[in-house]
Amino acid sequence: MNPEIQFPQIAMRIIREQELIIGPLAWDEARKVQGLNVIDQKKGEVSFQNGDSKNIIDKLVAQYERIFGKASHEVCRESVQDLIAEMSPDEVPSSLR
Amino acid sequence: MSNTNANKPISSEEYKKVTEKMYTQNLELARLYKEVDHLSKQRESLMHLINHKVKGAFTHSKYIFAGILDGTFGEINEEIRKRAEQGLDSDDTGIKTIDLILNAANLQKGFIKYEMKPADFENIVSKSYSEKKVPAEKKGLAIEMNTGDGTYSVLGDAFWLKEAVNNLLENSIKYTKTGEIKLNLEKKDGKILLSVKDTGIGISEEDKKNLFTEGGRGKDSVKTNVDSTGYGLYSVKLIVEAHKGKVWVESEGQGKGSTFYIELEPVN
Repeated sequence: MNPEIQFPQIAMRIIREQELIIGPLAWDEARKVQGLNVIDQKKGEVSFQNGDSKNIIDKLVAQYERIFGKASHEVCRESVQDLIAEMSPDEVPSSLR
Repeated sequence: MSNTNANKPISSEEYKKVTEKMYTQNLELARLYKEVDHLSKQRESLMHLINHKVKGAFTHSKYIFAGILDGTFGEINEEIRKRAEQGLDSDDTGIKTIDLILNAANLQKGFIKYEMKPADFENIVSKSYSEKKVPAEKKGLAIEMNTGDGTYSVLGDAFWLKEAVNNLLENSIKYTKTGEIKLNLEKKDGKILLSVKDTGIGISEEDKKNLFTEGGRGKDSVKTNVDSTGYGLYSVKLIVEAHKGKVWVESEGQGKGSTFYIELEPVN
């Protein structure tokens, strides 16, 4: 899959899953991640600024973990299992391995 | 006595602990929500299957039995006529049961839109009584209806209120082997009160608890009525409560008959 679509899709999945648990706060925290732009919260559209996409995902996972602990890291990992299964191991962000 | 802890600022470590605990609790809730959502979708798909496949199969065989009886497939002897009539009856019972379950599911999900209009509850009860008098008497039961003075106007959906009354009456007929059924409509404490009293199998204290719940049947109900679904009284409750009314049952126990009540707000 095209990485330009794939990584924002992973980020979206993570934010949506966190939203189920902590509500709109999940979006507030995502907005704090450098390199990640929330285009439309309602439609669920995000984009990545030029840079290391894997690193942006790692920063998003860390953002949640910093506040909500290890359980939130596990939630991120579980939520994208099917998406990362299609990726080669070196493409997978280290936080999701 | 002063509380020294009250003014003490919370440390960042304590704050993190609280936040993490809150997250874990929310996570548990989210997982439960997902499970419920999944079950609800499964149920919806089951209802769809029942409506389209099972009811469709009953309707198809009903058409065949009806064709046999009306001579579509040629002349038939007495034995085949008898069997076809039994088949038709059995299909009707099956279709009625499916409708009952689907109605309960639709009532519960709020898919039923009530047309709330001024309606004459006495008229609704009378119609139901007239319809059920024949099957009750055919079974050898005495049945009577008494109405107190005054008017019995309610704000409600006449179709669904009749369904509720029908259901109580049908139950009384099904669960009463001998004796009588008495309907009484009166005004009590400013409310409209309908009671359906029978000399049937009665209800134990234990059964009373889940009688109006989804799928809640009395322990012995299946012995008397093999077609019991446990959705009839549940539907009655949903309908009556949608009309801001109350439904309940009184019984002195097994073998001592039951009285079901529907209480509604009158309108002028």
